Amino acid sequence: MASTFFGRKQKRACVVGLDGVPYSLLRSLMDSGVMPGTAEIVSRGRIEPMTVTLPEISSVSWSTFMTGRNPGEHGIFGFTDLKEEGYGIRFPSFSDLKTPTIWDRLGESGMRSVVVNQPSTYPARPIPGVLVSGFVAIDLARSITPVRYLHELERIGYRIDIDTERCKEAPDALFSELQALLDARRAAVDLLWESERWNLMEIVVTGTDRLHHFMWDAYEDERHPHHGDFLAYYRRVDDLIHHIHEWGERSGVENRFFILSDHGFCGVKREVNVNAILRKAGFLDLPGGVTSLEGITESTKAFALDPARIYLNRESRFSKGSVAEGEAEALLEKLVAVFERLEHEGERVIRRTFTREEAYSGPFAERGPDLLLVPRHGYDLKGRPDAASIFGERRFQGMHTWDDAFFFSLDGSVLGAGTGLNIIDVPAKITGSLGVEI
Amino acid sequence: MKGFTLWFTGLPCSGKSTLAERVLGILLERGMYAELLDGDEVRQNLGKGLGFSKEDRDTNIRRIGYVCKLLSRNGVAAIAAAISPYRAIREENRNAIEKYVEIYVKAPVEALVERDIKGMYKKAIAGEIKNFTGISDPYEEPENPEILIESDKETVEESTDKIIRTLELMGLVPGAPAESEYSKEEEEKIKARLKDLGYL
Repeated sequence: MASTFFGRKQKRACVVGLDGVPYSLLRSLMDSGVMPGTAEIVSRGRIEPMTVTLPEISSVSWSTFMTGRNPGEHGIFGFTDLKEEGYGIRFPSFSDLKTPTIWDRLGESGMRSVVVNQPSTYPARPIPGVLVSGFVAIDLARSITPVRYLHELERIGYRIDIDTERCKEAPDALFSELQALLDARRAAVDLLWESERWNLMEIVVTGTDRLHHFMWDAYEDERHPHHGDFLAYYRRVDDLIHHIHEWGERSGVENRFFILSDHGFCGVKREVNVNAILRKAGFLDLPGGVTSLEGITESTKAFALDPARIYLNRESRFSKGSVAEGEAEALLEKLVAVFERLEHEGERVIRRTFTREEAYSGPFAERGPDLLLVPRHGYDLKGRPDAASIFGERRFQGMHTWDDAFFFSLDGSVLGAGTGLNIIDVPAKITGSLGVEI
Repeated sequence: MKGFTLWFTGLPCSGKSTLAERVLGILLERGMYAELLDGDEVRQNLGKGLGFSKEDRDTNIRRIGYVCKLLSRNGVAAIAAAISPYRAIREENRNAIEKYVEIYVKAPVEALVERDIKGMYKKAIAGEIKNFTGISDPYEEPENPEILIESDKETVEESTDKIIRTLELMGLVPGAPAESEYSKEEEEKIKARLKDLGYL
């Protein structure tokens, strides 16, 4: 329990976020002895695989986690979104989030949060407590609130992300970059743990996602030259989880200790260009040489944004719209049929489709895509407007999955009896452990 | 926001009307009251009966200036686009209007002859149009315009940006609504990071 100015004891909780860590991988690493500390903690609580909101990317998943709302309410549908007018692309920031965060909600009950490396919170804005923004944060000074911690974090060598340029030039550098990043997160937690009054301590490890994008094959292939490095990195992650848990035990966290991931991961067989599918099926008309959706013609019926968000070119929404409201439903059925038929070497590519109504609800749902695709594992859906062929060579080793994320609670009763856990259910369980309903 | 007068001056076909219309659109988008007094259109109303002698030209410009003054002091961004060739009458308007911004849209006559789709310059050179500014009538260049546009060297977009940016810096026009909280530099970096991870 934490002391307050008035002597009353307040509850404390800890959350460790592991970006892009699948349940199956964590289970395997725990079972094989790579993550003994985590295995011991998990053995005392309950872990469940879970699905996430769509599309299955960090900006959307973490926005769902930090609000307990679906994209139709929190308003974040991807790392990119359409500008208000036309087909231009913009990059939503933290200020685009339409609903209060769990840290705001805890603050209403006088509780403070310390949040380190939370994706999709840039530029940082004040919360009741301390926020250090994560991906896609650029400038450290705009990533920290209150800004008085800037100097301290600079002093301990805090970094926002790996140097991807360096890693592209020298893949061996990836592991030293990841290690430096993990050390920086740990140092930040150590700094803030004692210097701040807090009820919720949250740290997100994002190096896991980077590792999987670039080196997933190093996990799957034991003969891979970096297989040992891959496992060594996870030993460090295990050490961090164990460290935070120990701190928590000494600081009154009790059984309010949680771990979660924001999406799953798997290896890539092929990239699949959704706009190439639309073009070849006659739904998208983008003149040759045009690389932006701003160049589509009025005969376009549908187009896609990364990774697999399909928008009907509705007359009611777009300047070059060609789809009347009355024909939208029939068009959606045609699109679903096209994607359900799509095969690669005799294997179906699309596992499931979701209409907007199935995926989203709330006041901003209409700003979302009309159709979302969930691929079978191994088919990495991409939204490049000008891709010529449907199937492309893989550029990355790993891809996100909608399922196979996970949630762990040291207090197993928090998960209840139900199955079919989704990330949208998680934040209420965490704040609920502190006595706050959201 | 307070009203002001934006006065576009320059030779025929230099781009005054095009830029004035662009700027008008932006000011209206930003929630300002704005009105355009375009030279050609105004001549058919305020300046009806006036010719192209120096005296008539001065009267025409003085009348436009007077309307601009009334609009400006009532909170409107008054935009005038007129050749207004004589320095003295432009200065008279400047002195009469509290917030006056002069934009000189400059281009060499040779470039304008080439650009002139109505063929007026050719007719003036051939003597078919009399009192044509730049050919058979003088144009007195502004000595210290607030904004100088070189329309033979800049695109319409560049010139429009320059005008709006200057007006923002002068505190006459509110900033553009933020499409994003990111600076352009940050946006490029974010784009690069997303590409590095295959999100674009």
